[in-house]
Amino acid sequence: MNLPDSIQSLINALERMPGIGPKSASRLAFYLLRAPDDLSLSLALALTELKTKTAFCQECFNITDAGRDRCDVCESRKRDGAVVCIVEESLDVLALERTGAFNGKYHVLQGVLNPIEGIGPDDLKIKQLVARVAKGEIKEVILATNPSMEGDATALYLQGQLKPYGVHVTRLARGLPMGGDLEYADQNTLQRALSGRQDM
Amino acid sequence: MYLKHLSLTNFRTFTRLDLKIPQREIVLVGKNAQGKTSVLEAIYFLAAFTSFQTNTDRQMVNFYEAKKNTLGISRLVAEYKRGKSDHRIEVRLILEPMGVNGQRLRKEILLDGVKKQAGDVIGHFNAVIFVPQMSAIMDGSPDERRRYINLAISQSNPAYARALSDYQQALTQRNALLKALSENGGDRNQLSVWDEAIARLGAQIILWRIEAIQQIEKLASRVHHDLTHESETLRLAYEPAYDPLPKPSGQLGLRLDTPIDRTGLDVKEIQKGFSEKLIELRSEEIARGVTTIGPHRDELRFLANGVDLGEYGSRGQIKTTLLSLKLAEVEWLKERTGEWPVILLDEVMAELDLERRADLLKYVGKSEQVLFTTTDLNLFPREFSDSSEVWDVHDGTISLKNK
Repeated sequence: MNLPDSIQSLINALERMPGIGPKSASRLAFYLLRAPDDLSLSLALALTELKTKTAFCQECFNITDAGRDRCDVCESRKRDGAVVCIVEESLDVLALERTGAFNGKYHVLQGVLNPIEGIGPDDLKIKQLVARVAKGEIKEVILATNPSMEGDATALYLQGQLKPYGVHVTRLARGLPMGGDLEYADQNTLQRALSGRQDM
Repeated sequence: MYLKHLSLTNFRTFTRLDLKIPQREIVLVGKNAQGKTSVLEAIYFLAAFTSFQTNTDRQMVNFYEAKKNTLGISRLVAEYKRGKSDHRIEVRLILEPMGVNGQRLRKEILLDGVKKQAGDVIGHFNAVIFVPQMSAIMDGSPDERRRYINLAISQSNPAYARALSDYQQALTQRNALLKALSENGGDRNQLSVWDEAIARLGAQIILWRIEAIQQIEKLASRVHHDLTHESETLRLAYEPAYDPLPKPSGQLGLRLDTPIDRTGLDVKEIQKGFSEKLIELRSEEIARGVTTIGPHRDELRFLANGVDLGEYGSRGQIKTTLLSLKLAEVEWLKERTGEWPVILLDEVMAELDLERRADLLKYVGKSEQVLFTTTDLNLFPREFSDSSEVWDVHDGTISLKNK
């Protein structure tokens, strides 16, 4: 049996989402078919607005509402513009904001260096970061890319790029998770925690 | 250390196997293709988490049986004693459907009931295996020798396995970048971040290899001397693709068997030299689109009386050398970890003459547990087979042999 085109195209589109396979895609499509109209309509609306009503902040490249040049954080007078935290994705900003412990500003790279996937420095917001630092107001740059091979490489690359500007560059500490059990920590983490130990 | 219990489910020819294993010599007797080697393979798999003979682990799952149940799962469980404590390692090989016709093998590893990463468990249970077809280590491609040395070092030094897998990852990234630069051009300075990773991890790997090969060589040459009745001197010549101590220029005619002393090198020094070499080679590597130096291109040569066995070794010479190497590995692991590894010897007696058989039994007699396979129990001296446990292997079942 061939499905009507409208259903099949929805299934195809859903299948392209990360974490969704062919089965989940058809289940979602048929669920929407049976569900009250307002669910699919509000979903459709949300999807169209997703692209039209959002934009990237022209300073930190975090996501913000369309029509605005700068995001809330960049506009805020309470935030310390001398400290900038560099993250890979907008979601990382969200995670750091939840801590409530950071009062500086952000810069979202929108990815990491990954030659296998063809992502080089020009594909990231690195030039824009260097331009921000070149203005001279930033005193400290915190490199908060993920502690992965690619995240580390990106951090190293940024360090090289920022060196000429004499800005203080730091890297997020790495080590044991809170509430973690030393015994069950994986060796890699433990090794890094050991080499990054601090005076008390 | 020694195995106390082994249980296999849907592993190769075994649908179900439960074995209580005594702490002594064990001989598995049976005709060909009954499953003797599979038992050794299973035990080795629990130490290395990869087979000695296939790169595709999925062949080890007993498809036929596993398919009767909806999920293709093969399960290997070993209970063993290390020092004074009992442990349990479980490996599950799970075949998952993928794509149209594809299948993917997922490995789950549990140590004492807790799910872990392979890199965290490797080195907990150690085994050394000798299988005749492993002579590829001597006469096969350099890849075989790197695989051998990687597996050996990983068992004694888990950090080595981690460094190696990180190195591979950095290498893939660097090669991708080199290829992109050679095809489309771009900023060459991007390479420096991957150079750093390659040089840092590579230096550590090179240093560990230098150390391990030197120690194994010392032990292997002593064993080899004995096994050949002092007629052959065995040397292991490590030839790193990035050599921290290159042969002095003007001496290109230096003989292969001239030992090069690489001890006393410092990891920071190696890293620095490696980085500089990468910069020196940058244009060439961009043109070729691959990383041309580093541990992934290292070579290891086996020299008997100065002759390269990979090129000129006779079949018999290669078999004896392999045995010397394996026995040396056993002693080396004991020195490094303080524990005897479980020794697995497949059809080894048939490869040796009478005198060397006695030598071999003397060597392995010091350890805690040895498993032999053979088609013919008569290859063993009478007093040996009388004192050890003998098992009959027949069509995927194992039973105690009446003596």
